[in-house]
Amino acid sequence: MNENEFASKLKPWLDRGATDVGEMQATRLKSARLRAMDAHREPVRLFGLVKVNASTAQMLHYSVMQRALLFLPIAVLIAVLAVKSTQEPDFGDIDAQLLTQELPPDAFLDQDFRSWLGKPQG
Amino acid sequence: MSDFLASVDRRAFKQAVFAVHDDEAALDIVQDSMMRLAEKYHDRPAAELPLLFQRILQNAIRDYFRRSKVRSTWTTLLSNLGIRDDGDDVDPLDTLEVDDAPNVPDSPAERLEQSQVMASIEDAVKALPARQREAFMLRYWEELDVSETAKVMGCSEGSVKTHCSRATHALAKILRSKGITL
Repeated sequence: MNENEFASKLKPWLDRGATDVGEMQATRLKSARLRAMDAHREPVRLFGLVKVNASTAQMLHYSVMQRALLFLPIAVLIAVLAVKSTQEPDFGDIDAQLLTQELPPDAFLDQDFRSWLGKPQG
Repeated sequence: MSDFLASVDRRAFKQAVFAVHDDEAALDIVQDSMMRLAEKYHDRPAAELPLLFQRILQNAIRDYFRRSKVRSTWTTLLSNLGIRDDGDDVDPLDTLEVDDAPNVPDSPAERLEQSQVMASIEDAVKALPARQREAFMLRYWEELDVSETAKVMGCSEGSVKTHCSRATHALAKILRSKGITL
């Protein structure tokens, strides 16, 4: 058997060995392949100004989105508190007006106000 | 590019494993090689990619050895596998039995036997001196011609032929000593 014949007999074994790589290695190779493909994408302009490669742009986009998602609940909470504070009556002002008799007479005709006045204060 | 990488990634991984004997390092080498190919040569015609990729891969393997300064992989196949060199003049290729029947295992026992044969072959490839293994893999597994192999290896065509011949004889000798029939 010559060199070429021997090599041609060995090749299928090597091919089979390459097919039978472990699942973890196959997954790692696939992810490496995708990362390599990602790296060669055309560069994109960020905000029409800076030229960055696609993977960096994607990472920045992800980072912005992630921060937006983090700050969204906080912004909503602040907005709710602000709206609520404008709607709640300022009891301090009412007390002061009562004490200085500056309340309009209509206020005493309000049934809710009268019942509130009758309540024992804590 | 994507199809090309998908078609070579596992073979590249095995080549790197044969060279560095470490799965993690081999994965890193293949990943670096694929990144380098994609970044620098993504606009090259598909026909040029195999040669370029092999050049990058082999350089990455050499870089690995340079960085880690591991020279122990140059141990000879005889010392590595503990095979006694009895100094006979018989050409191992002449005496290696070749089974022409297809190697499709039927029973679990046959599958086990085949996996053992596979492991022995891979161990033998790993045990080859680095340049012999590189030449053999490029020439006969990647099916590059002598001149392409010489370009990838950065040596003369004559050296490629010598390395291939030595690698083939060494592999045949190991397999024969283990009673393995291809």
